[in-house]
Amino acid sequence: MKKLLQKIVGKSPWLYRINAGSCNGCDVELATTACIPRFDVERLGCKYCGSPKHADIVLITGPLTVRVKDKVLRVYDEIPDPKVTVAIGICPISAGVFRDSYAIAGPIDSFIPVDVNVPGCPPRPQAIIDGILEAIKIWETRM
Amino acid sequence: MTDILQPIFGLLIFPGGLFALTFGLFLKGLDRKIAARLQRRVGPPVYQPFIDLIKLAKKEMVVPETAHLWGFRLAPLFGFAGMMVAVTLIPIAGVYQGFEHLGDLLVLLYLLALPAIALMVAGSASSFPFGAIGFSREMVMMMSYELPLVIVLLTVALKVGLATGGLATFSLHKIVQFQLENGPFLFDYTMLPALVAFLIFIPGNMGVVPFDIPEAESEIVEGPILEYSGSGLALFNLVTSLKMVVVLGLGVALFFPTPLSEGFLLNLIWFSLKCLVLMIISITLVRTTTGRLRIDQAFKFYLRWPTLLALVSLVLTLLHR
Ligand code: SF4
Repeated sequence: MKKLLQKIVGKSPWLYRINAGSCNGCDVELATTACIPRFDVERLGCKYCGSPKHADIVLITGPLTVRVKDKVLRVYDEIPDPKVTVAIGICPISAGVFRDSYAIAGPIDSFIPVDVNVPGCPPRPQAIIDGILEAIKIWETRM
Repeated sequence: MTDILQPIFGLLIFPGGLFALTFGLFLKGLDRKIAARLQRRVGPPVYQPFIDLIKLAKKEMVVPETAHLWGFRLAPLFGFAGMMVAVTLIPIAGVYQGFEHLGDLLVLLYLLALPAIALMVAGSASSFPFGAIGFSREMVMMMSYELPLVIVLLTVALKVGLATGGLATFSLHKIVQFQLENGPFLFDYTMLPALVAFLIFIPGNMGVVPFDIPEAESEIVEGPILEYSGSGLALFNLVTSLKMVVVLGLGVALFFPTPLSEGFLLNLIWFSLKCLVLMIISITLVRTTTGRLRIDQAFKFYLRWPTLLALVSLVLTLLHR
């Protein structure tokens, strides 16, 4: 019974993206992943949702700047459990090109538990979809 | 005993309840699939809405601290109950009679307002600025699409009423019966403007893209239902899919209720096909080919074109009795 439920649940992951101060490169890549027919994520059952309350899988881009830190943490808290975090780009891992800047509060995983990292600056759409698939697998076990 | 059991059966299994829910969810899935194919995507499987529903029912429901608790909890139930009753009022020719009371068209008109009112209650009870904006926009939308709908219903009622000797017949059962005897209104040129007006009314009522202003996803992030999660959101999804069945079923009953033959199942499939065609024309095609309007543009649009078309039909009906 639980297996069946996990299987069902894995077919309907809703995505929500948080921009934690990214340079927009990753965001554009994410948006095209969703919009361009070729990389259709809707076939996985995914849906981009505007509200954090509806989300299952959180996609975070950017290095978490000092300015947005509180807001990102608050939005992250609003997402109902169970949730999976996917960090997209080099920025969340090590702050990438913005490293050691005074405006950066630090890599994201010192504030938020990150489950999947998708490295690249920006990562390829295929890599992002792969990361989402990975996240779905983790999410199934949490449900 | 049986006369008590029959309405309960009608409410819970067929044509309300179970049948309408599955049918509505399938329509929604088909809508998403066809829209994806129109955009040259693969799209989700047709049973996707069912999966979404199961998932949402399993998830945690977050209630904001500042929300008005009762309003927040009860709003989706309110819309859901209204739609469950409304489905039982829709006659399916050759399958289901509907009620024979005099004023069920008027009751249906009031019930159709309930989901919008539920959205308004939800938006204002969630105590969030975007919810409040969604609430005010929903109200404007409702005022604008309700007028053409009322005129269309009045036209149909007058047409049937004048032809049968009375003044106006506000009974869906009688309207369907009249069309079974005298041919559907689809082939009557005086009713064609009303049909077009009704087709324009559908996307506004369903809140799909050119008119999804109350739930504008990219500016006020789904407005009234923004704060809902888990089972509350699942209920709102059910409300929209039930509303789809009610609105499309009403369209079929008003304009083209002719059954295919004697068989129960065949008629049911025929009805579903008609609903599907109506959905593709008025929801799927519209939402894949247009962008969103502003609220004042939508308001003006509804008060201009559909109202005008419906009025033309009304005048033609009065002239040609
Ligand atoms: S990883 Fe590269 S593209 Fe992505 S936000 Fe950081 S700097 Fe921009």
